[in-house]
Amino acid sequence: MVVVKRKTLSFSEKLYLPEIFKGMSMTFRAMFKPRVTRQYPEEPLPTSEVTRGQPRLATNDEDGSIRCVSCGLCEVACPAYAITIDGQDTERSAITISGDVTEKFIEREPKEFEIDMLRCILCGFCEEACPKDAIFMSDELELADFTRKDLIYGLDKLKRPVSQLRPRIDYIYKVNERWQASSSTR
Amino acid sequence: MEMLITIAVIVAKITCIYGGMITIAALTTLAERKVSAWIQFRHGPNRVGPWGLLQPLADGVKFIFKEELVPDSANKWMFRLAPALAAMPAMMGVAVIPFAAESPFYGDVNQAGLTNPLAIADLGIGVLFILAFSGLSIYGIILGGWASNSKFSLLGAIRATAQMVSYELAMIISIMAIVVMSGSFNLTEIANAQSGEIWNWNIFSQPVAFMLFLIATFAETNRHPFDFAECEPELVGGFHTEFSSMRFALFFLGEYCAIFVMCCMTVLFFLGGFHVPFWEEAPWFLQVGAMLAKIIALLFLFIWVRWTIPRFRFDQLMGLGWKVFLPVAIVNLLITGGVVSFMGGN
Repeated sequence: MVVVKRKTLSFSEKLYLPEIFKGMSMTFRAMFKPRVTRQYPEEPLPTSEVTRGQPRLATNDEDGSIRCVSCGLCEVACPAYAITIDGQDTERSAITISGDVTEKFIEREPKEFEIDMLRCILCGFCEEACPKDAIFMSDELELADFTRKDLIYGLDKLKRPVSQLRPRIDYIYKVNERWQASSSTR
Repeated sequence: MEMLITIAVIVAKITCIYGGMITIAALTTLAERKVSAWIQFRHGPNRVGPWGLLQPLADGVKFIFKEELVPDSANKWMFRLAPALAAMPAMMGVAVIPFAAESPFYGDVNQAGLTNPLAIADLGIGVLFILAFSGLSIYGIILGGWASNSKFSLLGAIRATAQMVSYELAMIISIMAIVVMSGSFNLTEIANAQSGEIWNWNIFSQPVAFMLFLIATFAETNRHPFDFAECEPELVGGFHTEFSSMRFALFFLGEYCAIFVMCCMTVLFFLGGFHVPFWEEAPWFLQVGAMLAKIIALLFLFIWVRWTIPRFRFDQLMGLGWKVFLPVAIVNLLITGGVVSFMGGN
């Protein structure tokens, strides 16, 4: 059997008023303490390279050409069937360090690259599958629009300069190196 | 011609005072949310207008456009009447509150040719008028609770009625001590008796009556820590559980208007009324400013207490009302009466 010992109240506690004033002074002081609420749209959450946001296609900083060669590996890797790619040939020119154009060659690039953001589960498999360092998970998290159609992102919404994605790319390389070093099947 | 001026002055006074009261009541709802937020380390509403100042307007628009639901088993006529009956008496009280010693309106004189105070009606029985109407406000609550035909509403209404009736006694008797001291039921004269130095305020000569009146005011307006009429964890919403849309808003408007009137009463009875301390002949706008400053300080106290003190238990509340407040108020009145008659007059 548990016997709960009641605390015998002192006279000032029985009067009740001193205790009220104590409590009121406490809440008054609380009014001037710093606020803990984050003002979300103006003050977004801090993101880091670990943040797995929406996938984005990297473009080279030098000439703005897209890195993707429309091989279709991400399309296959995607567990949600969110990616649709239609490829085409394009003429690119190799540039030397001095900036001279040395030779022209034919390269593949996507004519259409669509990610249905309503299907995308932000798993990052496309990023792992990509052999050309072309698709990466960015730190962009906000996803809202008025129609379903507008949420199927095309090339225009997916392209990002590679410098913007650099922290994530470096992080992925670091993680892969660590994984390779610890792998027994190397 | 004189008749026309009198009517115009009365209409102007009603417009100013009622408009001001509704505005302050609306801003009090905002202040309530703001202060509660600050006490809980939050920001409070700050999206609508600068510092969220237009939030009451947004709330009002929302309430008007919401669907009005009437329960199938409710007493329809009573159900529709109750919100009006709750809001009307609360707003009536402000009619006798003086906001300055002399009205700034041209031609606002009484039959003796003296300037009236800045009140809609400077009644000789102003105290009784306010007390009568604050007593009437019970009807809105009990009708709302009963007509909803819901257990929670009825329980809330019964609690509210029991609470308001028992605390009204202590409140009125504590005021009577002031009435005995100033020898008048007129609110302007009660305020004038406290003009001049700050220690003329009744709070210093009647601290017990002040505490009794203040706490009874919390109970009378159904505020924390005595908000049994709508105590959420036990009774859902209490008497307004079944109300929606603008009808619900009317209950709230009535509640905040009642708080405003009670704050006016406290200021007039205990805090020197509209008088600026140490300056008896202050111009009217300074007197209105002094009155409003005191009212706003009291409104802040109301909100501050709400977010500090937990709710009483109902038997504790009734015990406090009948076993503590009533005897203390009667003894206070007896001592005051004895002292006043012993000193000979005022």
